[in-house]
Order: sequence, then C-alpha cells, then structure tokens
Amino acid sequence: MNVIFQSTYYTLYQATNERCFYIDFGQKKIRMPFCQLLSLRHKVMSIDIADHFDSDLNTHGLEVLTLCNKEHLFILNTLEILDLKNLVEHGFLAIGLSAQKELQTY
Amino acid sequence: MKDIARQSMSIKVESMDMLNAQIKMEAHASALYLAMASWCEQNGFFTSAKFFFKQTEEEREHMMKIFNFLIDTGGNPISPEVTNINYDYSSIVDVFESTLEHEIKVTKSIHNIVKKARELGDITTERFLDWFVMEQVEEENTIRDILDMIEVTGTEGVGLQMIDNQVANWIE
Ligand SMILES: [Fe+2]
Repeated sequence: MNVIFQSTYYTLYQATNERCFYIDFGQKKIRMPFCQLLSLRHKVMSIDIADHFDSDLNTHGLEVLTLCNKEHLFILNTLEILDLKNLVEHGFLAIGLSAQKELQTY
Repeated sequence: MKDIARQSMSIKVESMDMLNAQIKMEAHASALYLAMASWCEQNGFFTSAKFFFKQTEEEREHMMKIFNFLIDTGGNPISPEVTNINYDYSSIVDVFESTLEHEIKVTKSIHNIVKKARELGDITTERFLDWFVMEQVEEENTIRDILDMIEVTGTEGVGLQMIDNQVANWIE
C-alpha cells in the first residue's frame, strides 16, 4: 500500500493490487473502492462547518458520518471534520483528479 | 504506481461539482416550468400551459443528459433537491418574462462551466457542453420570439386570448 496523503488524524492509501483505496481512521482502517471515496468526498464537502459554531444549528459540534453504504459509522467533532475535509481536498489533488493547485497558479 | 483514480474517472472533480450544480439548476427549471403550467391552467391560458408542460419535460431531459455524462465519466451524480418554486405571477407577460430571465441565468451558468473547464484543461467536459451552449441559443430565442409576439399583439381586449392561441406556434 502506498501513502497518498496524511493529515493530522487520517491517512489515505492506495492499494494498487486490490484496485482500491484505504483510509486509516485511527481506530480502524477502511477499504474503499473509488466510488466510495467519491461518496465520502461528497458527504464531507457537504458538511457546513459554520453550523458547528452555532449552538442552534449544531448543539454539540458533532457530525454523524456513515460510510460505504452504512457499513461504518463515525461520530466526529469539529476538528476531526476539518481534518477530514483537508484529507479529501489534498487526497484528490494527490491522485490527480483535482486541479485546484493548477488553478491557483493561474 | 498504477493510476487507479484516473482509471476510474475521466474528468476533474471540480468539473463534476459544477455539473452537479447544473443538474440542480436544470431540475429547478423543470419544476419552475411545471409551476408555470399550473398557473397558466388556472388562469385560462391553456395553450401556454401546454407549452410549459413541454418545457418541463425538456428541462428534465437536460438534467438527465448531464446525469448520464457523470455516470459515463465515472463520477458521482447527485439527485437534486429542489426548493423555492415561485407560483406567483402578475400576468401571462410576467410568466414569459420570468422564463427569459431564467433561461439567461442558465446560459450564463453553462458559459461559466465551459470557461472553468477550459482553465482546468478538462477538454471532455468542455466539449460535452457544446450541445448545451447551442441549445441555450434556441431556448432564449424561442422565449424572445414569444415576447415579441406579445408586444405586437398587445394585451388589450381579446389580446390575451390571441396571445395564448399564438403560443401554439412554438409547440412542435
Ligand atoms: Fe435547460
């Protein structure tokens, strides 16, 4: 397995022989086919972090995240969500499917 | 290291995000035209209602075209949530003017995606949108023609009924 990107709490790997990816969440390592990685990206990017600073919208600053068709469930706090957003952003940049960096150099 | 990501998906994720936003916009247009069809039916503009029923279907087809493109390129198409549909119109003229405004918004949005796809070097997405660019020319032109016809006919006396009858010319 090759490390693609490592954030503060998480690591994204590519398992070339299995044609899939893994994310190490600390307490467990989860196998993810590419479509699940895309699905994770959508879920994570859809989280509005501003809600975490409004006690009416998000009382405890926690997010419940289900992954891989409800096979896994995580409860993450604000810092963990921010870190996961970071992992997703840089991870997609590293696997060459995001052009954000190229855009910024324009 | 084999490029599993590129083997799985052939466009950039930024393009995918913009196209998902466009899916939502087409779905919104479809819902909006359905609301307009409802308004037309309730206010006695039955031919215009037919016109908007047809527009509703067309917008749904636009949406599905993008949806299927995201599937073909290995992306993650998102089924859109549609909210905020306006049902209040002061007249049939208002209905068609709102339609033109909405179509212009859609045109601008598509042009914006084309420009960004070009910046990203995403030729696939750029070329895919060629069809939409030309389709928007048609859509805008149709509504402009109807508004011109309204202007010529005038809304006095039997004008409104004549307007409604003439909308039939734009239903193929
Ligand atoms: Fe459309």
